[in-house]
Amino acid sequence: MIQQSRSRGKAASIVLPVATAAAAIAIFVVDTVTGVDVAVAGLYVVVVLMAARFLRARGVMLVAAVCVGLTALSYILSRSPSGNPAEIANPLICVVMILLTALLVVQAQRATAALQEQASLLDQTHDAIFVRNMNDVITYWNRGAKELYGWKAEEAIGKNKQELLKSVFPIPRDEARGELLRTGRWEGELKSTRADGTEVFVATRWAVQRDSRAQPIEILETNNDITDRKRREDEIKRLNEELAKRAEGLDRELAKRAAELEATNKELESFAYSVSHDLRAPLRHTVGYAELLQRQASSSLDDKSRRYMEMILESSKRMGALIDDLLGFSRIGRAEANESAVDLEPLVREVVAELGQDTKDREIVWKIGPLPVCYGDSSMLKVVFVNLLSNAVKFTRIRTQAEIEIGCTEGRQDQAELFVRDNGAGFDMRYVDKLFGVFQRLHLAEEFEGTGIGLATVQRIIHRHGGEIRAEGAVDRGATLYFSLPRARVQERVGGNTQ
Amino acid sequence: MKNLGRILMVEDDAKDVELTLTALEEYNLANEVVVTRDGQEALDYLYRRAQYSNRPQENPAVILLDLKLPKVDGLEVLQQIKADERLKMVPVIVLTSSHQEKDVLRSYKLGVNAYVVKPVDFHEFVNAVKELGAFWAVINEPPPGSVRKA
Repeated sequence: MIQQSRSRGKAASIVLPVATAAAAIAIFVVDTVTGVDVAVAGLYVVVVLMAARFLRARGVMLVAAVCVGLTALSYILSRSPSGNPAEIANPLICVVMILLTALLVVQAQRATAALQEQASLLDQTHDAIFVRNMNDVITYWNRGAKELYGWKAEEAIGKNKQELLKSVFPIPRDEARGELLRTGRWEGELKSTRADGTEVFVATRWAVQRDSRAQPIEILETNNDITDRKRREDEIKRLNEELAKRAEGLDRELAKRAAELEATNKELESFAYSVSHDLRAPLRHTVGYAELLQRQASSSLDDKSRRYMEMILESSKRMGALIDDLLGFSRIGRAEANESAVDLEPLVREVVAELGQDTKDREIVWKIGPLPVCYGDSSMLKVVFVNLLSNAVKFTRIRTQAEIEIGCTEGRQDQAELFVRDNGAGFDMRYVDKLFGVFQRLHLAEEFEGTGIGLATVQRIIHRHGGEIRAEGAVDRGATLYFSLPRARVQERVGGNTQ
Repeated sequence: MKNLGRILMVEDDAKDVELTLTALEEYNLANEVVVTRDGQEALDYLYRRAQYSNRPQENPAVILLDLKLPKVDGLEVLQQIKADERLKMVPVIVLTSSHQEKDVLRSYKLGVNAYVVKPVDFHEFVNAVKELGAFWAVINEPPPGSVRKA
């Protein structure tokens, strides 16, 4: 097929110049021999036109020059001796006609070449570009369009674009067309069908071409294959939706867990409370009847029996203390925090004064402050200091001179770090983790009494205030408890002081 | 004799009753105590219903009321007493194991005259009951219509 057309082209390229040359010779012979004159020389125009079919600008101009030369030669050869001056006018007109024709032909050739160049440029791009008239009939179809859709130019041209591509529009087609006519352009994403029946997503841009009277005559359409992008977008969308669904599920799960946790916590709190509460009654009875028995029968009891009685009472009282501490501990979790600015220094002095009862026989050197104004629940903060200071008093019992220091380190801007330091029994840092657990004790009850709830309560209060607590110590070298509390802001401090 | 008591005690726990009475004995107030074992019985006593329909009309000088009671609970008894024109003058002391803030708050809102948490320590308990008995039954002048000291 290709071979055939090529050989046909070759034949044409020989035939045309030969025919042109033959025509020129024929015209020259007729012109020279017959003396029919002007009319014959005018036929050189045909020669020029024929030459334009297979020659470029320069060749055409050369042929035109030859024709002019031939015209002049004919004139000289056939000139009558009479030498009528009017006779020269005819060949001159012929020469002008030949030259004009050559010029016009060359110009037309240039314009065509430019158009062809543009067309081949349009074929270079990978974008699918086609033109359709206002009836949607395709009039131009570039190589990109062929590659994208699978129809050759000759297959596509002359077909109705919509019937060919079966495009699915994101908006009604009339609206797209309306916008195109109104603004001169339209952009959108279409789903079209290829020659092989597969679907392709394209980003399309339409531009309308108008004639000199502003009437729309054709539409230039550029299509880009966005199938991959679309697929990725769809995938991303699907993943996002899945993610959102999963996140929603997680949120729901989290909310459920939080609710469950809250419910469990409440249950635990009320359990702890009612345990402590209901444990009190039988304990009260045990202590009550034991004391009644002691009073009633102490005279008739021997020493051993009296000691047993004492043990019953002592154990019961210890259990009472445990229950009371447990109650206090559980109350910290349930109680509404009533927060305000709390000046810690007077609070600490108040606690020290209250401890005076237990310390009157002791030699204790107190070093207090300066202490900051913090923000918190004053009654809870008092519980913190009551616990920490009574601990310090308790564990320094082994010293002839106890030293207890309550101070404040530099800490952070928004949080004050306070400490309570003593020179008491201290503790082994290996067991520091056990210090803050409920019912965890590092000493024997015979050495230092206690329920093991005090520091757990303190930690709970500090945590509720958003602070941290830690302990440092060494056996027989004393202990220091550090804890942080939020500082009161200036205006709260003023409010706190005037209270 | 029992029906002439000046102190109405509403307490379901038999041991608490005994220990309370023991404590009150020191002031010779034990035999002035009428014991009812649940909220319903307490209301029957106050309104002279059922087994108490034949008792004299006077009100007790003071009511010692536990909160956790079978049938009708303490807060409900308190509410009925304080809503009754004839009974609302009678001093009511809540004597309970409950530290619970909402119990304290509700009791005071209903018009309780005192709220005492039973101490675990027997000495404290005895002291609390003795002081309560002494103050409300001996020192305090009860409202008109109450049982007078014999």
